Amino acid sequence: SNSLTFCLLQFSLSFGIQDDHKLSASELEEKYGTSINKGLSSSRAAEILARDGPNSLTPPKATPEIVKFLKQMVGGFSILLWIGAVFSWISFGIQFAQGAESPFDNLYLGVVLALVVILTGIFAYYQEAKSTNIMASFSKMIPQQALVIRDAEKKELPAEQLVVGDIVEIKGGDRIPADIRLISAQGCKVDNSSLTGESEPQSRSCDFTHENPLETKNIAFYSTTCVEGTATGIVINTGDRTVIGRIASLASGVGNEKTPIAIEIEHFVYLVAGVAISIGVLFFIISVSMRYKILDSIIFLIGIIVANVPEGLLATVTVSLSLTAKRMAKKNCLVKNLEAVETLGSTSIICSDKTGTLTQNRMTVAHLWFDNQIYSADTSEDQTTQPFDQSSPSWTALSKIVTLCNRAEFRPGQENLPIMKRVVVGDASETALLKFAEVILGDVMSIRAQNKKVAEIPFNSTNKFQLSIHETDDPNDKRFLLVMKGAPERILERCSTIMINGKEEPLDSEKAEAFQTAYMELGGMGERVLGFCHLYLPENEFPDTYPFDTDSMNFPTSNLCFVGLLSMIDPPRSTVPDAVSKCRSAGIKVIMVTGDHPITAKAIAKSVGIISATSETVEDIAKRLNIPVEQVNRREATAAVVNGMELKDMSLQQLDDILCNHSEIVFARTSPQQKLIIVEGCQRQGAVVAVTGDGVNDSPALKKADIGIAMGIAGSDAAKNAADMVLLDDNFASIVTGVEEGRLIFDNLKKTIAYTLTKNIAELCPFLIYIIASIPMPIGTITILFIDLGTDIIPSVALAYEKAESDIMNRRPRNKKKDRLVNEQLAVYSYLQIGIIQSVGAFVTYFTVYAEQGFLPSTLLGVRVDWENNAINDFEDSYGQEWTKYQRMYLQWTGYTAFFVSITIQQVADLIIRKTRRNSIFQQGLFRNKVIWVGIFSQIGIALILSYGLGHVTALNFIPLRFQYWFVAVPFAILIWVYDEVRKLFIRRYPGSWWDKNMYY
Amino acid sequence: MTKEAKKPFRQSVAEWRQFVYNPDSGEFLGRTAKSWGLILLFYLVFYGFLAALFTFTMWVMLQTLSSDIPKYRDRISSPGLMISPKPDTALEFYFNKSDANSYAQYISTLKKFLETYDDSKQSENINCTPGKVFDQNDVADKKACRFNLSELGQCSGKEDKTFGYSKGTPCVLVKMNRIIGLKPEGEPYIQCTSKEQDMVEINYFPPGGSIDLMYFPYYGKSLHAHYLQPLVAVQLAINSNSTNEEIAIECKILGSPNLKNEDDRDKFLGRIAFKVQMTE
Repeated sequence: SNSLTFCLLQFSLSFGIQDDHKLSASELEEKYGTSINKGLSSSRAAEILARDGPNSLTPPKATPEIVKFLKQMVGGFSILLWIGAVFSWISFGIQFAQGAESPFDNLYLGVVLALVVILTGIFAYYQEAKSTNIMASFSKMIPQQALVIRDAEKKELPAEQLVVGDIVEIKGGDRIPADIRLISAQGCKVDNSSLTGESEPQSRSCDFTHENPLETKNIAFYSTTCVEGTATGIVINTGDRTVIGRIASLASGVGNEKTPIAIEIEHFVYLVAGVAISIGVLFFIISVSMRYKILDSIIFLIGIIVANVPEGLLATVTVSLSLTAKRMAKKNCLVKNLEAVETLGSTSIICSDKTGTLTQNRMTVAHLWFDNQIYSADTSEDQTTQPFDQSSPSWTALSKIVTLCNRAEFRPGQENLPIMKRVVVGDASETALLKFAEVILGDVMSIRAQNKKVAEIPFNSTNKFQLSIHETDDPNDKRFLLVMKGAPERILERCSTIMINGKEEPLDSEKAEAFQTAYMELGGMGERVLGFCHLYLPENEFPDTYPFDTDSMNFPTSNLCFVGLLSMIDPPRSTVPDAVSKCRSAGIKVIMVTGDHPITAKAIAKSVGIISATSETVEDIAKRLNIPVEQVNRREATAAVVNGMELKDMSLQQLDDILCNHSEIVFARTSPQQKLIIVEGCQRQGAVVAVTGDGVNDSPALKKADIGIAMGIAGSDAAKNAADMVLLDDNFASIVTGVEEGRLIFDNLKKTIAYTLTKNIAELCPFLIYIIASIPMPIGTITILFIDLGTDIIPSVALAYEKAESDIMNRRPRNKKKDRLVNEQLAVYSYLQIGIIQSVGAFVTYFTVYAEQGFLPSTLLGVRVDWENNAINDFEDSYGQEWTKYQRMYLQWTGYTAFFVSITIQQVADLIIRKTRRNSIFQQGLFRNKVIWVGIFSQIGIALILSYGLGHVTALNFIPLRFQYWFVAVPFAILIWVYDEVRKLFIRRYPGSWWDKNMYY
Repeated sequence: MTKEAKKPFRQSVAEWRQFVYNPDSGEFLGRTAKSWGLILLFYLVFYGFLAALFTFTMWVMLQTLSSDIPKYRDRISSPGLMISPKPDTALEFYFNKSDANSYAQYISTLKKFLETYDDSKQSENINCTPGKVFDQNDVADKKACRFNLSELGQCSGKEDKTFGYSKGTPCVLVKMNRIIGLKPEGEPYIQCTSKEQDMVEINYFPPGGSIDLMYFPYYGKSLHAHYLQPLVAVQLAINSNSTNEEIAIECKILGSPNLKNEDDRDKFLGRIAFKVQMTE
């Protein structure tokens, strides 16, 4: 645990843990006022509980709900709409005071605007709360129980009620319920990976072995797991005062960066608000200088703001994001923060853990060596057979040792599960061997039963071997079989012969050389190698009554027969190499950051393609050219394996240099703290960094990353809390599908926004022309809201279901600074081209309605003042007929409805063209996205209901419209489609041309 | 850590200036002269095309319309009532019968309004058969019926140049909105009432406030150029002790089943309400 010293020292320094590990049991009893045998009294425990609080981590400070809610009420366009509402009320106040006839219109408009803000705010709040709730369900796991001695009795208590001084008992499989100083331990091993990132289980005893409380063996830490054995200990820290608790609070100190999509949306809101305010103010000035009354000018201003602001858009974006989030959840990416959905898409660097993410997180037999030959084993997740040649009698001997010299056992009751999925009691290597044997030989437990064990020496770190003696299953063979496995060099030392093709041959130097070569080769692949040997004990010396004594070792442990080597590795997940190559073609750099040994790390990196087959590290080049490492031109090496120890001495500049100049990087033996440094380094390059992590001390890096990805299975709560996303299957490949979804939603949001912005011009133009040409009002403010929040909503969400136009995984990640969500081209094309066509189409309908009722276009110009005068009830039309005010208003509302219908009809065309940005609609398929059609039908359906169903509700200003007016704008809708097809054709035909640059958004 | 430092003000001004005009690339507002030229040309063509398209569709639409009668007349199925003179502020008459200036505006409006009814202007108009709808569907040259100002009696402005305003008996002309093709049924007449019955006595010219059917139907401005709509003069003889009081008057068209006068929303459909306040 050399590599950990660095970070652990850091911990000790900053945390100043107490000296409990140095104290003796009696001193501890005294210090905590407890008794090892009797434990605390219940009353004393209650007192301490009252003093220290419950033994649980304080959840990160949540923003008060009301603050979250209010934030939704003022964010985005809300401010603009509030201004509109306030202006409405002001003008209502003035009109009311002046005793005007219908001041209530403005009151209602203000109320409607306020309602719009409040409702969209509630909606956004609800969406956010919903996604937060998903996470909450994670942290609410089954309350942990702890076995405590209190009042001299053993009790099961919820771990939350533990207090300092409690005596707790732990056994294999338990989570350590608090920081514990051990006072007795039997074969206890703990998995500290959530704390230190070290995946190897560490043994625990009651001995004081190290000055540093974090290195000493007699302290077990809260939230780590006891893998095997049993232990008893005194609780020395609870809750936030535990080591984990302190790291968790450290993580909350690292600020959260704004997500790229949040920045994009902000940019977009500024843009639209800027347009709205400038046009509003401009026309306010124009109308004042045209001698409109100030009050009228204010009302125009409200109209312009309402027309310009896409009220429904932010809600639509939220819905689209949450739809994608749902889709990603199905693919095992659970997104905590909706905006993170897109962040994943813009990711340019993924810093991935090795264990569990890239690999299967279980040791598996990868290679065998017997009969002087290396065999490869199948390491896939769902192996059911092993293909290598099993005909040699040496294999039979080897398989017997593997089966018998093994203490691991399957938990009972799993007979129906696939072998690889069964739970095993035992350490990682033994588990691997057990499963390996079970796959090949079948029922291992019955083989063991037939070969009864008579004596056993378990593995220990001094002799580095494991030995057991068995009766044989051959009733005629009365010999005992001694089997042994262990570190290969130690095993070889004890052997005098070696089995070749089932025959024992003397172990000469040539054979020893062959062993060395094989051992080096397997070790060089980063695999953990074990040696196996056996000896049949002569029947005459060891009769069946022979009393084997493992303490005095009254049996031979040397001059054994060497049988073979088995090497194990935590193999890569089978889906990972493909995912890594996808990342590569998607321009995403995958950096492996692991606590493992460089050789293992490099081997895995090579096998999954993080280091590609052809690339070399500086060391590889040096080896190939046979020159010292220093003489190698560092630029030639595309790959780099950086050791945590080297990283420690590096300046930021050197780190940047490595990150910049190598496309394939592996950081090995790194502490989780160094992960943070690496993440910051990547961010300095301007990259959007995704980081995976599972341990508690990964949380600072997870928070710092643009998108932190926690492991759902192996991940600690703290990591899940700090992360933006949780990988439910811990699989790297899921990240890649997430990236794909993220990129798709970015493209689709572009389409949604383009779609939504377009009709704003068709809503705005009426106001501008109304002010300048003084025609009767073409469209009402309320009508506009019905488009923005009615007909347009479902279609714009439907665009979120659009399939990608081309392989989005074949292009580079978007450049944060250049590839904006809403760029100039998008705004210009929507506003100044399609929007204008829509306006023209809608105005044609408007003029048609008026003309066919008797007001020819020429009559309409400049009539506004008389038209709106309540006292003029004999307003003459182009044919000499006279109209009352109400008859005119009714006609005006018919105009509103016609204008509304025209925009809706043209929005259908707009929706269809927005399906693609480059490809022809016919390439994309008009009917592939069914939701678009739901959108189109809903759009028309809502318009029909508004016109014919609610046409008699005066306040809404909708009128049952003559059927033919629905078709006036159809030619313009067709024009929009045709024009856009031409635009796309030119973009495809002439890439890089003036047209492409100005027309592609 | 990676937090960007705020740009100094001078730098952002420089950047802004660079954006407005970049001497290195010759870019003005982010585009070169050529680029601006192209984009302006594009929009010239684009909007030119749209303008042409708009004009064309409007032309096509106008071609489908008749110049004589509008395509649809369903939005004005029943006529509104209106009065002349129409006060500037709402429909409230305020005048002082002894101050000619206070009602000069009303009188000039009335005079102007009645100019078209002058006999000299009605030379081409014919005398029609009273009490009968004057159908001219088959006639190309639609004739207008003569409306003799004398029908308005004391309110014709002939005898009393002040239309009764100086005497405390102000005249108000009530007219029915012109609607093409409208043929009133029955015997329509105008009836005005006041809640304050004792304050005012109401006289009608022609007697009974009747509107003769011979003035209908109307064939529209182009076919029926000399058409004059029938008028009913309402003379309000305000009780001498009701001066200074505000008198609310409501006039309705009655006697014709197809002329609406009770619409909830349209307060002017077949009816009109106004107020008169006379001082001395």
